[in-house]
Amino acid sequence: MKKLFVSIAMIMISCVSCKEQYFPPAESLQDQLLVVEANLDAGGGPTTVRLSRTTKIDNTSPIQVENNAAVFVEGRDNTIQTLNFTGNGNYFSSNLNMVINNEYRLRIRTSLGKEYLSDYVKALYNPPLDSINWERTNDGVQIYVNTNDPANVLKYFRWDFIETWEIHSYYNSNLIFVNGNLRSRIFPGENIRDCWKTSPSTNILLANSTQLQSGIISKAPIQFIPVNDEKLLFRYSIIAKQYALEKNGYNFFEILKKNTENIGSLFGPQPSELKGNIKCLTQPDEPVIGFVTASGVTEKRIFISNGEVAPWHKGLFCREDSIANHRDSIIAAVGGGLVPITYLDAPINRYLFSTPFCVDCTSRGATNIKPLFW
Amino acid sequence: MRYPRLLYLLGLLLMSLTVESQEAHKIKIDDSFENVSPTDFFSRLEKKISYKFYYNPAQLDSFVINLSVQGKTLPEVLQEAFKATDILFSIDSSSKSIFITRRLSIVTELPPGLFYKEDKLINKNIISPDSIPAFDIESKRVTKARAGKLYEIGRKSAQSSGHVILTGYIRNSKSKEPLANASVYIDSLNATISDQYGHYSLTVPTGNRTLNVQYSGMKDTRLQLVVYSEGKLDVDVDEEIRVLKEVVISSRKSSNVRNVQMGVEKLSITSIKNVPTVFGETDILRVITSLPGVKTVGEASTGFNVRGGSADQNLILFNDATIYNPSHFFGLFSAFNPEVVKDIELFKSSIPANYGGRLSSVLDITSREGNKKNITGSAGIGPVTSRLHLEGPLIKNKTSFIFGGRTTYANWLMNLLPDEFKDSKASFQDLDFSISHAIDSNNSLYLTTYFSRDKFSLGNDTAYRYSNRNANIKWKHNFTNRFRGVFIVGYDQYMYSVESDKNKVNAFKLGFDIGQLNLKADFDYYINANHAFNFGVSSLRYKLNPGYYNPLGTESVVNPEEVEVEQARESGIYFTHRYSPGSKLSVSTGLRFALYNYLGPQQVNTYIPKAPVTEANQTGIVEYKKGENIITYRGPELRFSARYAFTSTFSVKASLNTMHQYIHLLSNTAIIAPTDIWKLSDQNIKPQEGQQVSIGMYKNFKSNTIETSLEVYYKRMRDYLDYKPGATLFLNHHVETDVINTKGKAYGVEVFVKKPGGKLNGWISYTYSRILLKAYDTTQGVTINKGEYYPANYDKPHDVTLMGNFRVNHRFSISLNATYSTGRPITLPVGRYFYAGSQRVLYADRNTYRIPDYFRMDFAMNIDGNHKVNQRTHNSWTMGVYNMLGRKNPYSVYFISEGGRVNGYKLSIFGSAIPFINFNIRF
Repeated sequence: MKKLFVSIAMIMISCVSCKEQYFPPAESLQDQLLVVEANLDAGGGPTTVRLSRTTKIDNTSPIQVENNAAVFVEGRDNTIQTLNFTGNGNYFSSNLNMVINNEYRLRIRTSLGKEYLSDYVKALYNPPLDSINWERTNDGVQIYVNTNDPANVLKYFRWDFIETWEIHSYYNSNLIFVNGNLRSRIFPGENIRDCWKTSPSTNILLANSTQLQSGIISKAPIQFIPVNDEKLLFRYSIIAKQYALEKNGYNFFEILKKNTENIGSLFGPQPSELKGNIKCLTQPDEPVIGFVTASGVTEKRIFISNGEVAPWHKGLFCREDSIANHRDSIIAAVGGGLVPITYLDAPINRYLFSTPFCVDCTSRGATNIKPLFW
Repeated sequence: MRYPRLLYLLGLLLMSLTVESQEAHKIKIDDSFENVSPTDFFSRLEKKISYKFYYNPAQLDSFVINLSVQGKTLPEVLQEAFKATDILFSIDSSSKSIFITRRLSIVTELPPGLFYKEDKLINKNIISPDSIPAFDIESKRVTKARAGKLYEIGRKSAQSSGHVILTGYIRNSKSKEPLANASVYIDSLNATISDQYGHYSLTVPTGNRTLNVQYSGMKDTRLQLVVYSEGKLDVDVDEEIRVLKEVVISSRKSSNVRNVQMGVEKLSITSIKNVPTVFGETDILRVITSLPGVKTVGEASTGFNVRGGSADQNLILFNDATIYNPSHFFGLFSAFNPEVVKDIELFKSSIPANYGGRLSSVLDITSREGNKKNITGSAGIGPVTSRLHLEGPLIKNKTSFIFGGRTTYANWLMNLLPDEFKDSKASFQDLDFSISHAIDSNNSLYLTTYFSRDKFSLGNDTAYRYSNRNANIKWKHNFTNRFRGVFIVGYDQYMYSVESDKNKVNAFKLGFDIGQLNLKADFDYYINANHAFNFGVSSLRYKLNPGYYNPLGTESVVNPEEVEVEQARESGIYFTHRYSPGSKLSVSTGLRFALYNYLGPQQVNTYIPKAPVTEANQTGIVEYKKGENIITYRGPELRFSARYAFTSTFSVKASLNTMHQYIHLLSNTAIIAPTDIWKLSDQNIKPQEGQQVSIGMYKNFKSNTIETSLEVYYKRMRDYLDYKPGATLFLNHHVETDVINTKGKAYGVEVFVKKPGGKLNGWISYTYSRILLKAYDTTQGVTINKGEYYPANYDKPHDVTLMGNFRVNHRFSISLNATYSTGRPITLPVGRYFYAGSQRVLYADRNTYRIPDYFRMDFAMNIDGNHKVNQRTHNSWTMGVYNMLGRKNPYSVYFISEGGRVNGYKLSIFGSAIPFINFNIRF
């Protein structure tokens, strides 16, 4: 009886809970606020400060960057370091010569003459990133970081990472269509079979050891690769960067994460006010987004190959079109978006073409230049 | 009267016969009778003599005969048996008939000389009726109320003029369950309703009266009374078996107009069961939220909001036990088994002085008492839960039990929830068990227990559990007819825990629990129709474990952490005087004095006075010893309400209430989540305070079959808690640094039209209401929306609800409900920017936008099996569709950064029409 009812109910209910795309009301506008993204590398490494502006909520308007500002790092010890504008909202210094445990702040003067100043932040030493490990589960591969401050002083950490993975085209093309003609490819420069794809992390990754006996952070999850994903079809590499934080900096990232990544679940928190550590001196009530931190950057890279996670396959559905050895046919095929693979000799005397996805790995957002670390 | 007249005619007929000599005088009788009923007495006599007795058993059933006779004649025996009563007998020796009557004797002879010359008949008029000393009936149990039977109340000798008090119990004649809220009345002036134990107390004018008892689902009962002085009368009312062609049930007519309290909603489980709900599970809390002035944040929310109060400001009582988490399964189902619940009462405006400790409302859920005669029960099967309930006597007519249990097989539901619940498991159970024992007519004992448990695991590694556990013992004692008391001892507990052992190194168990021991003595003193009192004392002892975080397993390196246990005592003494100088005016003045002590042992943080309460401004820690008083809060609370009835169908009421609340729910989400914790007021967190004034007009139409009301209220509250950005609520040793004191104002108009009975019944309500909050404490450095008023999460100004039920015939009824409300406020992003590898959204002021409006229609059909009384089981089917129109009502709208982009989503909990079917068996 019971089973019967359950199954009836299940058949009849197609969608109890539904998630639909939502487009906000058009009037949601806000003055373009300055956004400051900065970790001052206290360990003597290169520092990039990125300045941009907020924009309208709808996804059509692009993010504006803030160019041609003057950016300085001021120490309590009266040292001043200048960061140089390198384009696209980025300001760079190869070494800020910071002293661990000294305090520094960031001063920004925009091209329109507005001046912004951060609170003083302590330059933090950053223990080495212990290790990156991973686990194969039925659903995929979960990647973790482990770290530990032997002094048990630093308790708050943030990570970001860059992933790189190898992809291969289904067909190995030895022909290229250039200037209206087909010719043989010149390897390795024109190789479109072997590529490497790179992607940075998009989520805020945080962990703290405040509730642990020692300063050991064990298995903080940073990335999950679903089973049979293209990332692990051949070989995969991830480099994680670690930043140490003070409590207020950690809180900033935690609120930012809650407000922008964890919201909307049934018990999801309400968005709360995000307070950074930067103020506008010219116009004190103008909010500024961002939290300047100062920490050394430590990093670690690992590789995972397909054999280590087997079984891990993906069937690609690729089909070649055979095109007559005729100029008009070839031009029509190329115009239709197809890419040449190879020429079949007599008695067939036809060219094989296929879609870019199956032939040209660079069309999949990847580069055919082998990374140095590979 | 029909009976005697018939006898009289019979007598006349007999008279035409030729009659023998006066035989009755000659028969000698030797016998002894001990506690013999009149019926047995007469039949024994009938065997001895050849006479036949004619009498109405109903008139005589309160008599017993104790008699021993030796060689007495029949008239002598009868005279002896009925001496000192008003029972008369007439012997017609011609027909060998004896007529037994009360007060009026049957004249068995015709006027002399009409037909016969001789006097052949004896008319023995023992004593003239007026000189009969009334037999004393201190307490009478009316087994079956019968028309034509006359009940005498009190001593005739003590006859007083004017008004006297009649008390007693109203019970179901079959199950002996007490009937609460039965209307008991003589006329519109002398009317009352029975309390939850079925007890009533009524002022009655002396003389010949008709007592009416009405209760929905039971036969209307009328009893003829002769009232001499105060007395008791228990009335057993028959169930109405619906095989009749037409039944008109009128219950509690005009009580909405006459009751002095305002803002009280009372619903019986029968009407709750008519309301279609999701998956067909009868859900008390869902029905509550359809009442005017009650809102909810959304479908998957545990709490409800009464007149702008937050969800933690409702006192939810199940048989006087406080339930901290009244729902199962993320708030989709309420935690009360409909099979054992009798009725619910929601006080949202004038809260009686015997309740305290919450600002907004009291929801009083009463369970039934078990059947005192037979074992009965019911079972139900639905798509989400299976239910069973059993009840019956332990000692017949004295002690009964009732047991109810529900369990679920809801795992399949998880797949229908949002993605984050995939691969999750959920289950819940609840159990109720109660015993009621009638020691004697003045003493009753009740034991009530309640247990609910929820368990769910998300993604196979983290297991959440929560549980309510309650038990209490009640002793009800009638000191006199006018004075009764109820004494309660109980213990209430709520706990939750979270366990995760996926990563052995970080494996943990964390949790929270609260326990409260409560004592209460409540007295009712009824002087007369003009004055009645309710008073008492109550005490609550809280022990709250704010949170622990412990390693799980041997490999775990989790640092055990625990926030110190909090203890407090909340005591109250209260007094209510109900004054009704006439039929028009009635005033209830209540005063409650609450005393709250926050007790040691505790380490208390101190802060620089008048500076923001932050960790930086902490000056030290003061240690308090066990039992030491840390801080005391006290305050009087006024509960005043008045009614003026312009006519018997139109009245105006006003009320004024002040309340304090010493326990706060710490919740950073819009709703009550199972993992929210409670916090007691301490030296840094002040108790919440609230005041409410309300005025209402009540008018009934069409001889009270349509009730209408209009209520307006204004409410203020202070020291309600909101949170600083990034507040940590769990395992925080200084929660006071993370909270912001908020004040609120709420106002609204509620219009209610209800047709409680008839073929077509139901209600329509419209509410306009606002609730605005303000973080007023500027010394705290942090404000919300620049310290201006902003709407609370559950501020939904317009709300229209229609609940309709149409009974096509006795076996088939259909229900339809429709509800519309303004979308709730949300905080929408106003901009977008790039940070930490992704585009992210920028939020500005809180709650400045609203999600789209909410509209839903549900439909249900109830099909009963046949109503033959004597069959073994009765079954019924309920089927219907929840969210008939399949509207995707948004529960929330949110923006999330995914893969570097910002995406906006609208989440609906029930995004399609949900059909359901339920099967119930009663046995």
